Amino acid sequence: MKKYRLVFLLLSFLIGACENDDFCTEETTPRLVIGFYELENPEEFKKAPLIVWAAEMDSIYQGVNLDSIVLPLHTGSQNITYKFSHTKEVDQINFTYESEDLFVSESCGFKAIFKNLRIESSTNNWIKSIDINNAFIDNENQVHVKIFH
Amino acid sequence: MKTKSMSKYFISLCMAFFSMTAIAQEEAVSLKDSIAYKKNYGLRLGIDLSKLLIGATDDYFSGYELVADYRIQKDLYIAGEIGFIEKTSEEDNYNFTTKGTYITVGFNKNTFQNWLEMDNEIFYGARYGFSSFSQKLNTYTVFQEGTKIGEVSTPYFEPKTVHPNQTYTDLSAHWISFVLGLKVETFKNLFLGASVNFSKLIKTAEPNNFKNLYIPGFNKVYATNSSVSFNYTLSYRIPLYKK
Repeated sequence: MKKYRLVFLLLSFLIGACENDDFCTEETTPRLVIGFYELENPEEFKKAPLIVWAAEMDSIYQGVNLDSIVLPLHTGSQNITYKFSHTKEVDQINFTYESEDLFVSESCGFKAIFKNLRIESSTNNWIKSIDINNAFIDNENQVHVKIFH
Repeated sequence: MKTKSMSKYFISLCMAFFSMTAIAQEEAVSLKDSIAYKKNYGLRLGIDLSKLLIGATDDYFSGYELVADYRIQKDLYIAGEIGFIEKTSEEDNYNFTTKGTYITVGFNKNTFQNWLEMDNEIFYGARYGFSSFSQKLNTYTVFQEGTKIGEVSTPYFEPKTVHPNQTYTDLSAHWISFVLGLKVETFKNLFLGASVNFSKLIKTAEPNNFKNLYIPGFNKVYATNSSVSFNYTLSYRIPLYKK
């Protein structure tokens, strides 16, 4: 009986030690969540047919019709210009922000979060108004920027 | 990967030891004697050969470990280790250098029934361990999930790589270990030994915005705050008295 107790102790140690932590499963760098709203009724989502891309890059969204989208922010920069094409009209928004790097876990390493999100400049062809709903971006659970059209 | 190749050595070392004991036993059978053999008591001092070997072949590791035990009963030893390790760990998105010293104290209980004057051991034991160390975060790349364009998901922007070269000092860790091992007397008072440690962290002083992922003496810290480590020792017993 004494022997079995020892084996059991050893096994529990072994099982506890063999933990696979090679994959990053935690939330990492959050993206910017943009919601589209009705100008006349600011509480109501209003879908927009969209093509979205960062200046001089490939499009992230290509002809979708959504009421909210998520866009990555450049962790190595403090500003980024995104272009939003609605039917034939194109508007651009230049965002500025500060980033902070946080350690997540062994498998994920570091993530960035963003603070002091501001709109440096924007055009108003189809976009009527832009509102920063949350200037602190540490998750993707809420809308950070509201676009009224 | 290191653990894998180390366990290979461990197994081959076991083989070597078992074959040695087998030879020794054959000799003993012919002796047929009724004398009660006395055991050598004394302080046994040794070094961990594996750390020296890894240090000589791996540019990212240097370290040494001194081991000691003192026999207090026929099958019971007070045992401990003391060591120094400097190791650079390379992960996917970051790498860091750990540097520090450690000490462990505990006991080993022999379960091997020796024939005649033989003094080999198959033992289990326990340790309390303490380490004082620093972690230097050399470089990291911010992890950002890929953006799906068409069917492929790739980073939309070039990921940011930072070289903070930041050193976190005054870090410490306390842990307990369960030890399994064996020791074989190859020449009079000269022992070859191997052991495996299963350890669990009790308490650590963690760096700010980083984590103790490697701790000297404890080894790589897994998600459950546990670790496995090996050592292969060469030790000499300074005989003090017989009993």
